[in-house]
Amino acid sequence: MKDKDIIAVFENDLDLVKAIGSLKESSIPVRDAFTPFPVHDVLKMLGRKSRLPYFSVMAGAGSIILVFAFLYYTAVIDYPINYGGKPYFAFPSFVVIIFLLTILITFISTVLVFHFRTGLFPGKEPEIPVPDSSDDRFILTVGVDEGLSGEMRSMAKEILTKSGALEIIETEQ
Amino acid sequence: MKETFNIPGRIKLLALLLTGLGVLAVITGFVTDQPRMWTSLLINNFYYLSLALGAVFFLALQYVTDSRWSAMFNRIPEAMASFVPAAFIFMIILFPGMSVIYEWAEPGIAERDALIAHKSPYLNIPFFFVRMVLLFSLWILLIFMIRRHSLNQEIVDGAAWFKKSRHYSMVFIFVFALTFSVASFDWIMSIDSHWFSTIFGIRAIISSLYYSVAAIILLVLSLNSAGYLKALNKYHLNDFSRYLFRLSIVFGYLWFMQYFIIWYANIPETTFYYVYRVNQPWTFLFYAELIINWTIPFLALMSDDAGRRKIVLIPVSIVVLAGFYISLYIQIIPGSIGELRIGFIELGSFAGFAGLFILIFMNSLSRAPLLTENHPFMKESLDHHL
Repeated sequence: MKDKDIIAVFENDLDLVKAIGSLKESSIPVRDAFTPFPVHDVLKMLGRKSRLPYFSVMAGAGSIILVFAFLYYTAVIDYPINYGGKPYFAFPSFVVIIFLLTILITFISTVLVFHFRTGLFPGKEPEIPVPDSSDDRFILTVGVDEGLSGEMRSMAKEILTKSGALEIIETEQ
Repeated sequence: MKETFNIPGRIKLLALLLTGLGVLAVITGFVTDQPRMWTSLLINNFYYLSLALGAVFFLALQYVTDSRWSAMFNRIPEAMASFVPAAFIFMIILFPGMSVIYEWAEPGIAERDALIAHKSPYLNIPFFFVRMVLLFSLWILLIFMIRRHSLNQEIVDGAAWFKKSRHYSMVFIFVFALTFSVASFDWIMSIDSHWFSTIFGIRAIISSLYYSVAAIILLVLSLNSAGYLKALNKYHLNDFSRYLFRLSIVFGYLWFMQYFIIWYANIPETTFYYVYRVNQPWTFLFYAELIINWTIPFLALMSDDAGRRKIVLIPVSIVVLAGFYISLYIQIIPGSIGELRIGFIELGSFAGFAGLFILIFMNSLSRAPLLTENHPFMKESLDHHL
């Protein structure tokens, strides 16, 4: 939350998406949107692209190699035991463990990276401008430090009102 | 905006030509090499029967889960399902070839083979046909009910018919799970009559759903490029490709599960099936089955963006449908004729079945309006977006 932001409260996601569209048309930068549930259009219109899936793929590929190396080391090099007359390096018996541990490692590392990158941890104070956005309201914030002049400021307010904002809050210092 | 499918003359001619090619291949086959002809008839018939029944399974899933995105495509699986009666006729035609395909149907085998003698109360020709008639009549009855209620939605407004469709869909899924297991045990697993796998039924069920989704994708896209189903957008394609992607994982899982359990237990009564197939000349096809049906779609459709592009979705669907032929080939041929030969007989009869399938599909599709306008979810489906 920066000072002097314009905070607009909307009743539904359609109005919010419409407002983002008209703000973009007048080239007024939108800082952020807060919605009670994920709205795909908002992600798309704000141009935010998550790189988390790429991380997950890399983590998955990495953990396949890691788990395979671990299994190979334990079952073939360090402590070879003959069971059922199978060769020490019995690949089919590795597959299930590779499969399960890959899912586990990928999942845990993705969760951790997500929390690290977004700065979230248990007990963190929420950074939402209007608490209602976790209930039934849709919030849009327009920042000032992107060089918003007084003229644009009033234009932004006008656009937000037109698109059906229930209320517009302006935070001062 | 009642949109009705008109059979395009060129496609009809092409399908007729394919069917003619198939007839030619079948005649050549019967003159030159009867065992190959019988087995490829079984492969092709099971192939297209799986596509038809899998399409009904897909439709039933959409009804049971109240899926909104797919409502506009309901006619396509319905039309595909109309191939089932034709498949029934072909299964009956197989009768003279049974002793060629099925080891247990050879006359006098029970005296030489104790295991087949033990299984003969179940595996005998009269009971085999009783089961076949029972299975087909159940399928045809349920398909008829689902289709009729879907057509009724056209005439009478209201969700009552939709609810009935949903009810019959539930019945179908339940019946299909049981009957298609029996069908796959009877028609495919009994070829290797000494071998058994309890996972065989679910593999056949998942395969039928998997490959029929690939076929539905191709049919929907070709209808779209012919100017029908204009509301098709990239989000529909995304949902289709998710089906394909997930089912490829399930396929790979089941493929490995069957192999893995037999490999681990290492009991000669079950391992001989795989020992035979990983050795020459089947090695290539054996691994190709897994790579084509799992690895390729898994890697190609992993990203959401790729699944929305026709340029990815069309080749993947075609590759997967080719993979189904390999999958059936490796299940049927090694146990029945035991030599790897693919030539005009196999490919020609496959083309013939494709032509017949397309003819029946187009004929059935042209009988009803393409969109059920009174379907409760039609508007949501036409305007589907994420």
